[in-house]
Amino acid sequence: MTKTPYILIVEDDEWLAEQYIRTLSGAGIRTEYVPHALAAIDSIDLTRPDALVLDVLLAGPNAFTLLHELQSHADLASIPVILCTNSADQLAGEDIEAYGVAQVLDKATMLPADLVAAIKKVLP
Amino acid sequence: MKGNKGQLAVKRDGLLPGDLSFLITASHELKAPLALVRQLSLALELADVDADEKARMLRQIVLVSERALRLTTDLSRSSRLEGSLFELEPLNPQQICEEVAHELTPLYKACGREIQVSSHYRPILGVANRDLLRRIMLNFGDNALHYGSAQLPVELHVGTRTKSGTIRMGVRDYGPAVPVDVWRRLQAHLGTDMQALHARPQSSGLGLYIAGQFATVMHGKIGATRHRDGATFYVDILASTQLSLL
Repeated sequence: MTKTPYILIVEDDEWLAEQYIRTLSGAGIRTEYVPHALAAIDSIDLTRPDALVLDVLLAGPNAFTLLHELQSHADLASIPVILCTNSADQLAGEDIEAYGVAQVLDKATMLPADLVAAIKKVLP
Repeated sequence: MKGNKGQLAVKRDGLLPGDLSFLITASHELKAPLALVRQLSLALELADVDADEKARMLRQIVLVSERALRLTTDLSRSSRLEGSLFELEPLNPQQICEEVAHELTPLYKACGREIQVSSHYRPILGVANRDLLRRIMLNFGDNALHYGSAQLPVELHVGTRTKSGTIRMGVRDYGPAVPVDVWRRLQAHLGTDMQALHARPQSSGLGLYIAGQFATVMHGKIGATRHRDGATFYVDILASTQLSLL
């Protein structure tokens, strides 16, 4: 039996997170949503998602704090990360590649299908 | 035309350097609500959603658009701030708080949050421009929305008259404490530049900057107090002497 992919969404805009959940659920992808990096760390420890959809500017520690934390654990460093951000144009490729970021999506231009495609691309 | 710092003023040969920074910040701050409206609209267009879900999404589009429009109105007010254009009048700060809470309640409800006004039994009058003061408090209320637990409401409150003849109106939220270093940076720049509060990304650095400008026009000032469980953003306005003369 094929395992249903499981994605953790880290997004502090609840309504945008709802929209991601709606889109991914429609594509048969199981999701959980947390609003900040600290909750994400707890959730990742418990549930080991197949990938993360991660906003950059979060309440409290930002995405890079979370990415640092993930990279410091051998078993978590390989979790693929899709950054969804309004600051895509300010992120340099070389800065984020080291953090296991598979793709950066610009919230202002992405289509719902882009999120599904990005997730499917990184799933095992 | 010469513009004050932070105002949108167009010279014959283009924008002033400070204005360009203002423009960039403004466009960045409007990007988030526009991106959300776009995503929701695309979902309505592309996805098969039931009637209840559709109604909820349409409501979200309306509320997010209204929030963005409040920012655009603040921007246009800010671009033509002249003291003489904004008449100061005696007003009841408690009433302003109630109007602001009433206006923001639909947005708070839609987010599963609550906004309330702490009651104040003694009549107290301030001197301010009603529209600008409302906009400052709306700005604080918008900023507070995304912080704190759903169990604890955001509170608008009016303090007592101080010895220095001012009244403090504040918006208290209960959320994650802002780290000390970030808070010190905020305190150093609050109301004087557009630096975003990065531990609270949905708080509008631009909105606070504009609120600071509005307060200055009314001979007041804005400030913030850090709590272990959140923050209070406040504006100090002049107290009216009318009641004390009675």
